[in-house]
Amino acid sequence: MIRTYAALIRNAWLVDLQYRAAIGLWLLWGITEPAIALGIWWAIAASGPIDGYARPDFARYFFALMLVNQLTIAWDSWYLDRWIREGDLNFRLARPLNPVHESIADNIAYKARSGGVILGLWLLVAAIWPAVRLPLDPTRWALTALAVLLSAAMRFFISFTTGLLAFWTTRASAIMELHAGVGLFLAGRVAPLALLPPALASVAGVLWFRGMISFPVEVLTGGVQGAAALQRGFTEQIVWLVLWFGAYRLAWNRGIRRYGAVGG
Amino acid sequence: MNRALRVLAALWRLNIAEELQYRANFVASVFGTVFWIGTALLTLALFFRHTTLLGGWTYWEVVVLLGVFNALTGVIEAVLRPGIGQLASEVRSGRLDLVLSRPVDAQAFVSFRQLDVWRLTDVVLGLGLAGYALVRLGHVPSPLQVIAFAAALASAVVMVYAIWVALMSLAFWFVAVENLSVLFDAMYEGARYPVSAYPGALRFIFVYLLPIAWTTTIPASALTGRLGPEIGLAAVGVAVVAFALARMLWRQALKRYTGVSG
Repeated sequence: MIRTYAALIRNAWLVDLQYRAAIGLWLLWGITEPAIALGIWWAIAASGPIDGYARPDFARYFFALMLVNQLTIAWDSWYLDRWIREGDLNFRLARPLNPVHESIADNIAYKARSGGVILGLWLLVAAIWPAVRLPLDPTRWALTALAVLLSAAMRFFISFTTGLLAFWTTRASAIMELHAGVGLFLAGRVAPLALLPPALASVAGVLWFRGMISFPVEVLTGGVQGAAALQRGFTEQIVWLVLWFGAYRLAWNRGIRRYGAVGG
Repeated sequence: MNRALRVLAALWRLNIAEELQYRANFVASVFGTVFWIGTALLTLALFFRHTTLLGGWTYWEVVVLLGVFNALTGVIEAVLRPGIGQLASEVRSGRLDLVLSRPVDAQAFVSFRQLDVWRLTDVVLGLGLAGYALVRLGHVPSPLQVIAFAAALASAVVMVYAIWVALMSLAFWFVAVENLSVLFDAMYEGARYPVSAYPGALRFIFVYLLPIAWTTTIPASALTGRLGPEIGLAAVGVAVVAFALARMLWRQALKRYTGVSG
């Protein structure tokens, strides 16, 4: 399996290499949204901290968000939607390997490249702008790596499972967009969850959204402090990852049976 | 000119006839627009939980701007976006020859040949939102303000189109780039809020380099009376310049294409 993955990742890396310009554009898109949110909060926080967030806190929050979002985002729903509708899934099914492995390998290769670029950008900006510097605390970075890994796995299975809905509906991509729209607030993309109205924040607490972006970001910026808060966040992430993995298995097994029936 | 319009009318008639087969798309499109307006309003409400003014604008003033933003998005999604993927693939494969040999203006043909008619509902919903926000503001625009707004909005459409043509021209240099419109989206994202809300450097970029400010901030300002009616004239001037520059770039790009294919 390790050799298979090594080959798949190498292949995905080389394919991405051909689309450097396109990847650069997507990166730009990933940067503008948090940059604009930062610009607005920066203006609002001119007269003093908001609920404990001062200007530099916002800067660190949104820079961490750019990195975490890039490392955890998964476009697979979009690909699956197309594969299923246009029949590209067929040759993938003919291979002696579940297509999910290829998708995972694609994600690893893509994120290694794009995450590296964002990290490099961050370091460059940090060299001239002290507000976005973070302490080099090995424990914190290790915890962040774990939280990012769990989030990436969960977001992958959310995206993959939603893409599999294309077996039943033609609007799988639209469902994923709705999910992204809700995630603007509940995952913390527009603002740190602490600034949401309490009712909205509590919804984020019971669903999987906090573990998607907000939790890893706040681990990195130091917003999550103390063993109890860390334990709670990681538990949430693991529980939701298991649930979404279960949903993926269910959708895959049911969907493949149905797909076969349609294709003859 | 007359013939160009007839060609355009014929193309759009075909498009509309095709789209009418997919009426469910209409419902989905309206639902999608309402959802995104909802998230935009919620985002705004979130900002205004912690402040009373955004770049000097009140909540309902920014909602007027959001309505303008949405109306322009409708124009982009209905008229401009459907064609750009096609252009990139035509440049790559050389099939653009078929377009260039037609006796119509290539730029106009490439820009307007496809129409996603359902997305025009965004224009209606956006202007409706702007109107509602005006009522909440308790501001009745004077006839002069309405005229200035109309001029600024028409200029905004031209300006967006000019930026779009500039992007399309890039397809001739970077043929491998399929997602050129992402570049536009990333840029246009900045138009959601009044430019005065941004830090100085960003504001300078949005007013002078990437003229995003002229697409939403200026029309909204003209309507709410934040800027005098003469801003309408200025907007027209900027739009004319932007259009001329974009046209020049397109010509350069076309020259390059012919250069390649011999």
